[in-house]
Amino acid sequence: MSVEALRDGIRNKAFTSEEIVKFYIEKIKKEDGNINSYLTICEEKALQDARIVDEKISKGEAVGKLAGVPIAIKDNICTDGIKTTCASKMLEDFIPPYDATVVKKLKAEDAIIIGKTNMDEFAMGSSTENSAFKVTKNPHDLERVPGGSSGGSAAAVGAKLAPFSLGSDTGGSIRQPAAFCGVVGLKPTYGSVSRFGLIAFGSSLDQIGPFANNVRDCALALEVIAGTDPLDNTSSNKIGSTDYLKGIEDGVKGMKIGVPKEFFGEGLDAEIKEAILTSIEKLKSLGAEIEEISLPITDAGLSAYYVISSAEASSNLARFDGIRYGYRAKEFEDVYDLMEKSRTEAFGDEVKRRIMLGTYVLSSGYYDAYYKRALKLKKKIKEEFKEVFEKYDLIISPVSPVLPFKCGEKKNNPLEMYLADIYTVNINLAGIPGISIPCGTSKNGLPIGLQILGPHFGESKILKAAFALEGALK
Amino acid sequence: MEKVSIEDVKYIAKLSKLTFTEEEALKMASEFEAILTHFKTIDNMDLSDVDINAFDEVNTEFRKDISEVFEDKKKLMQNVKSLRDTSIQVPKIIE
Repeated sequence: MSVEALRDGIRNKAFTSEEIVKFYIEKIKKEDGNINSYLTICEEKALQDARIVDEKISKGEAVGKLAGVPIAIKDNICTDGIKTTCASKMLEDFIPPYDATVVKKLKAEDAIIIGKTNMDEFAMGSSTENSAFKVTKNPHDLERVPGGSSGGSAAAVGAKLAPFSLGSDTGGSIRQPAAFCGVVGLKPTYGSVSRFGLIAFGSSLDQIGPFANNVRDCALALEVIAGTDPLDNTSSNKIGSTDYLKGIEDGVKGMKIGVPKEFFGEGLDAEIKEAILTSIEKLKSLGAEIEEISLPITDAGLSAYYVISSAEASSNLARFDGIRYGYRAKEFEDVYDLMEKSRTEAFGDEVKRRIMLGTYVLSSGYYDAYYKRALKLKKKIKEEFKEVFEKYDLIISPVSPVLPFKCGEKKNNPLEMYLADIYTVNINLAGIPGISIPCGTSKNGLPIGLQILGPHFGESKILKAAFALEGALK
Repeated sequence: MEKVSIEDVKYIAKLSKLTFTEEEALKMASEFEAILTHFKTIDNMDLSDVDINAFDEVNTEFRKDISEVFEDKKKLMQNVKSLRDTSIQVPKIIE
């Protein structure tokens, strides 16, 4: 059942929020043992909050846009009084004393936080195998990864263990797991959703966004979480209307859509290519004008992404020193030894690798060669996308060059894992919005995702095209 | 191929406040060589006309610099591992 149908059913007293929350909690208890999408289930608090919403409705009081509907939250988004671990031993027992702005907004619309989802440690990874606690499995094939880093949030929605969820996307961490798990996932424009309370990885790239089983639910969730926030200086004051459901049925007739030829070259799985080309034909038949374009930045963009995100990660994760909060080593000689031992014992391999890479590219002698050049390329990429969007309404591309891969398949080769992000990272460098929607399945039944990109603050346009294509592909 | 020595890894580890065994450092050096070689793809791009100091979209609306009181002090300190009265306890820094 969709988020809208659940909300309307609760509001019209066809069923209660308590019944819905109980249903999902029972389902999680029964089925999540195989999938491992959740790290924390907030059973007691969720049921208590559901009863409050039910009471409001029975008294005829006004309720919010998401009244009584359960939502799962990625475990790097702070939730007051609920453990927020970033799937790291470093924050294993960390309980935030405040809510992230997006969580406050969800609560203001009476959504029910049902649990916190698994992820790659500190959002670093593309498979959710880097969690310190458990490996999440793809609900379509338990031997395969759900993608990452928001693999728990995507798998929970894909396995119908939550009607919708929140994730974060620094280089594809919403769109890629959405594609792998056969759900809709949206990375909004950088600056359109507050990041206050999101535990930082790459601050100039991080963005919070929703997962859902259909495009309308994604639009509704975005409507609730988007907006300027004085607590996040990078949140923009140019967002415009956040009523993303308005005109969502308008269709794609007359829209000019660019298809970058570089995204269909060597390395793209044949079945993915075929599914995307079929979708492009569908869009043509719906009245969109499709043209091939050139965006010759993919390889270098991937490098720039890993230079910048690792540099920012090394700086952001310097705060985890075992002093004020987080893991503290049991034995140490002095305060410096305490910091070094706490960090070495609590961070996982991939997090250490990124901190080291980031420190390397920022260190004296390498700063100009790597970091400064990467920043220049980031700016060039942003300009190139801007130029494209002067002529085209949207861009269409694959999300991932590969189908969901087997657990352990790429874990020991970090470069190979990084290369799988080639179609998503440039979008974060440019700061533009992108949505991943299911567009078919492989012959082995694995989901295939398609990415629709738009100009800065072009979420409405993206959602219109996604909604039209979703309908045409049914 | 970029060359990364174990000494480089140990130096960066010191800056990162991390420790690695010889075996881990050796593995990291070889992984770094592959990754840094890929990073060199940026060198193929002509970036001479890009000015990173020219900003086009900066938010100018900063919130007022006014301090606010976090009412629940106990909650604020709930994650501290070692607390003495109202202070966080750390090992001795000055002898």
